[in-house]
This record gives sequence, C-alpha cells and structure tokens, in this order.
Amino acid sequence: MYLTETVAMDCYDVVRQLWEYLDGELTDESMDAIRTHLAQCRQCYPQFDFERTFLEAVAATRREHPAPNMVRRKVLAKLRKAGLEV
Amino acid sequence: MTGITPATAPNRVDTKRFEVEALPWLDDVYRFALSMTRDESDADDVVQETFLRAYRSWHTFEPGSECRKWLFTICRNVFLRLRERERRRVDYGGDDTQLEALASEQESVASVGAHADVLSHVDLGPALDRAIGELPEVFRSAVVLVDVEGMAYNEAASVLGVPVGTIRSRLFRGRRLLQESLVVFARDAGLTARDPCEV
Repeated sequence: MYLTETVAMDCYDVVRQLWEYLDGELTDESMDAIRTHLAQCRQCYPQFDFERTFLEAVAATRREHPAPNMVRRKVLAKLRKAGLEV
Repeated sequence: MTGITPATAPNRVDTKRFEVEALPWLDDVYRFALSMTRDESDADDVVQETFLRAYRSWHTFEPGSECRKWLFTICRNVFLRLRERERRRVDYGGDDTQLEALASEQESVASVGAHADVLSHVDLGPALDRAIGELPEVFRSAVVLVDVEGMAYNEAASVLGVPVGTIRSRLFRGRRLLQESLVVFARDAGLTARDPCEV
C-alpha cells in the first residue's frame, strides 16, 4: 500500500489498470498514482515491464507495406470514372 | 457527364481536397482492409469500394476532422457488407456474447510474467502476426485499430460503431488471447519450460 499526495493505489488496482495506463486512457490523477506506485513497487514493475514489451511487439507488427500498385491503379481508375480528375 | 447526380458529385474544389486529404491514406486503408479480410483479393475489393464511397460521400466529411478515421469507418462498413455476402469464407459465425464468453475462459494467462524474457529476447513478429490473424474478427479489429494503428479507444469505438466500453473489453480479451498464443508458441519452440500440469 502506498500513500501519495494524490491517490493511494494498491497492487491489485495497479495491475488491473496497467493496460489502460500504458494506453494513456486514464485520468491524469490515476496516471500519476500508477506512475508513483510503479516507481516504488518491486512486485508490480515486472508485470508492467512485460505488458509494455508485449504491446511494443504488437505495435511492431504494423508493416509499412504499401498497397500494391495494381490496387492503387484500380482505385484511381474507379475514381476517375466517378469524376475525380487525377 | 459521369452519370453522378449533382448532389453527390463533389465540385472541383472538393475534388482537389479529396485528392489531398483522402488519397494519401490509401496504404493505411489497404492495411486495415487486409487485417479484416485476411485475403489480398478481398482487401483489393474493399479498398476500391471504400474510396468510391468516400468520394461520393465527400460532402459529408467534416473539414478538420480526422480523415483516416472517417475512411476506416467506411472501410469497416464495406467489409461488413462483403462478409455478409460471403459468409462462408469467414470463420466468425457467433455473436459477441459467445465470443467474449469464450475469450473470458482463456483470460487468465497463468504466470505470464515468467515469459517476459521470451518477449524481449526473441523475434516474435511472425508468431504475433499469425496470432493476430487468427483472432476472432471482433477482437482482431479492436487490437489492430488500437495496438497496431495507434488509435485511442474512442476513435476505435467510432470506427467500429460500438461503445468505448466494448472496445476496452474486446481489446483486453484480444490481448489475452494473443498472450495465450505466445505462451503456446514459446513452449512449442522450446523457449520456456513446459507446464508441469501438462505432463
């Protein structure tokens, strides 16, 4: 249990909200409380580190492969037919 | 004459705006379409139809709003229509309730933290790629929009036409399913010790 100047959070609450924390989807107050807790808690930090690494690996699957030229050509042909001047 | 009614045919200025604001997202729309269809030919059809609809509806696009999100929403709707037509080709036949119940059974990934080393030392790209592709579509869309495309929960909710709470639930369960797949992958590859209970 940690007492901070903002909100005290126990390990259960922190782990339960880790993904929303990593996604930046919590209130500023909750973000601060979790950040403070993680800085001090040896028990929660490995879990946080694992989830962060996992999400980074998922994000890295974003392949920058462009749409094939054939698709691009078909799209442009369809748009020209509909009136777009490209 | 193109046969398009004046009400739906963008004027010349709008046409230029469409070219500048919408067309640059073609690669993103293609990637999103491919993540949903998992088939290049279907993605091709979805992308063409998406841009045609977007062009014809360009007057409904609010200047200053996010064009990529608007295109993704159209893309998603086009995909749903395609899926309806070709239901046999899609492996998802249940409703959200069934899928989420299924996922919640697998929600607990025991000792997941013990596999942290695997994540940081092994290239999981191909395994993750495959695992994302194998997720039920409702979870895959949430994971792709938030984790791969970097959208906020409310943006993904807007694209998929569901409440933010639903995105959160689908996203978290999709992630748990991915972690479950990675644990299996790591065990099969001999990267972690086998669960003694399995022996």
